[in-house]
Amino acid sequence: MTPRIAIDIEKNYGAFHLHVALTAEPGVLVLFGASGAGKTTILNAIAGLVRPDRGTIRVGEETWFSRGRPEPAIDVPARIRRVGYVMQDYALFPHMTALENVRFPLRRDPAGETTARTLLDRVSMGHLAERRPAQLSGGQQQRVAIARALAGNSRVLLLDEPFGALDAPVRERLQRDLRLLQRAMDLIIVLVTHRLEDAFAMGDVIAVLRAGSLEQVGPIADVFHRPATRGVAEIMGIRNLLRARVCAVAATTTLDWNGMTLEAPADPGLEAGAEVTAYVRPDDVKIVYPNRPISPQVAHNLLEATILASRQNASVRILRIKLPNESEIEVRFPALSYGEMTLEPGETVRVAIRREGIVLLGHLA
Amino acid sequence: MGSALRLSIQVTLTATIFAAVLGLILGRLLARREFLGKSLLETAVLLPLVLPPSVVGYYLLLGLGERNPLFSWTNVSLLFTWQGAAFASGVVALPLMVQASKAAIANVNPALENAARVLGAGEGEVFFRITLPLAKRGILAGVVLAAARAFGEFGATLMVAGSIPGRTQTVPLAIYDAVQAGRYGDANALVLLTTTLAFFSLLVVRQLERPRRPPNAIAPGTSPETGG
Repeated sequence: MTPRIAIDIEKNYGAFHLHVALTAEPGVLVLFGASGAGKTTILNAIAGLVRPDRGTIRVGEETWFSRGRPEPAIDVPARIRRVGYVMQDYALFPHMTALENVRFPLRRDPAGETTARTLLDRVSMGHLAERRPAQLSGGQQQRVAIARALAGNSRVLLLDEPFGALDAPVRERLQRDLRLLQRAMDLIIVLVTHRLEDAFAMGDVIAVLRAGSLEQVGPIADVFHRPATRGVAEIMGIRNLLRARVCAVAATTTLDWNGMTLEAPADPGLEAGAEVTAYVRPDDVKIVYPNRPISPQVAHNLLEATILASRQNASVRILRIKLPNESEIEVRFPALSYGEMTLEPGETVRVAIRREGIVLLGHLA
Repeated sequence: MGSALRLSIQVTLTATIFAAVLGLILGRLLARREFLGKSLLETAVLLPLVLPPSVVGYYLLLGLGERNPLFSWTNVSLLFTWQGAAFASGVVALPLMVQASKAAIANVNPALENAARVLGAGEGEVFFRITLPLAKRGILAGVVLAAARAFGEFGATLMVAGSIPGRTQTVPLAIYDAVQAGRYGDANALVLLTTTLAFFSLLVVRQLERPRRPPNAIAPGTSPETGG
């Protein structure tokens, strides 16, 4: 049985103070937050690369770390903990081939070669086993790094911004593969990311971090729909969140949002009738000039809206508008745009929501 | 003349091994560890680079002489032996090795060493399988430089080991001796040999230090292949 991880640690770096208490069970725990929030430090503490000032790290019945507690101090070295850890930038050994990298944790195991090849096949990298990291693309390096992390046979897999350098199709495929691996091997995955889409694609539980403290922990949909604080909503960058029903799936996805029809990008994973969570990017709502032809790029999702509020700083203007279905959304554009229009509260305008500006998040039942 | 060359090779090899091993240990310590008195240690190690060789020689004379408790106890003195000459050359060559290996090791991405630790490697394995292979060009450059310096050592060797033909008279000392005695033929031959050796050593060092492809750079997505 896969044990669970329980951590409760404190660490000071000058002005930065990290203090978190978390548990992770088989599944994917997402550590979410801006850079500098302490996400990587938590992974390093679990792996044994950073020594907290105080606290405990337990995995199942074992204590990996304990300091400043009544019990005697414990600090199991990283080489004994042997978690699977895919670091940011992967940290593949540049002087070894993909196969040698995966073999590294297997030491003198006589079956090491076979095991390493099996793992490379599992991440679809078997055919490139003899290549060095410099001869592999970012996505391929990431796969090798995952195979190497799994070779230690750890049930704990730590992933630090694993999708950073990858383009969309590669990222989606890796996310799917990782989810399959997680289920097949009953892994505890702790994943660090600052991208909401990745969090939704991978996460079961999300822990939102800000400046070294936990703001909220919970099932990802709960945190997303009910941010405990304004801070959480801001960290998660949530604007214009909506839940809608899928009406039709074709070259585009047609959504029904409280009686209003929206056209969203195609998503092969969706079926008609499904409930989805989505959000409208505030930058992708365009105001339509009343007396000009509409350019084809914005000729979707044309709606009448009432301006509720308007505020502006040096470079950005933000409007709050009400749509025909009584929902309110935020619209952002450069302060100098739409110079000919006044756009004051109370006015009615036509808006177009760019299709690509509607982001479909996880497919929640 | 032939004995001077043979002796020089013997002294240089011994001195280089000494400087390489100690220099690697010190280089790693300085590149990877923080401790009290680190800059003092580093400064002390580098001192032979700027001190007059006679001063280094004088310290070694005191340290290796018969008043030294260790040697009075073992009753073995390195003074006026080829081993003494090797020790003096090694001490003078050490700063070059320390600097080269420190720079080479500092250049290895520490994340790679941490990755190896997480994968179950102990400190020895981390050093020999990750750090050393990735720093090998810089370290090798240091070894060649240290060897060249040890080969050319004059002042400290003279103080510690004298200039006994066939026993402690290395090539640089033999050149001095030959010039003093007016044997310019011998001097010319040895000078030419020494210059050639020095020239080729520096050429090798330059080749080693010229970056081909940064061996530790981790640059995802740099391959012409598409992802996936």
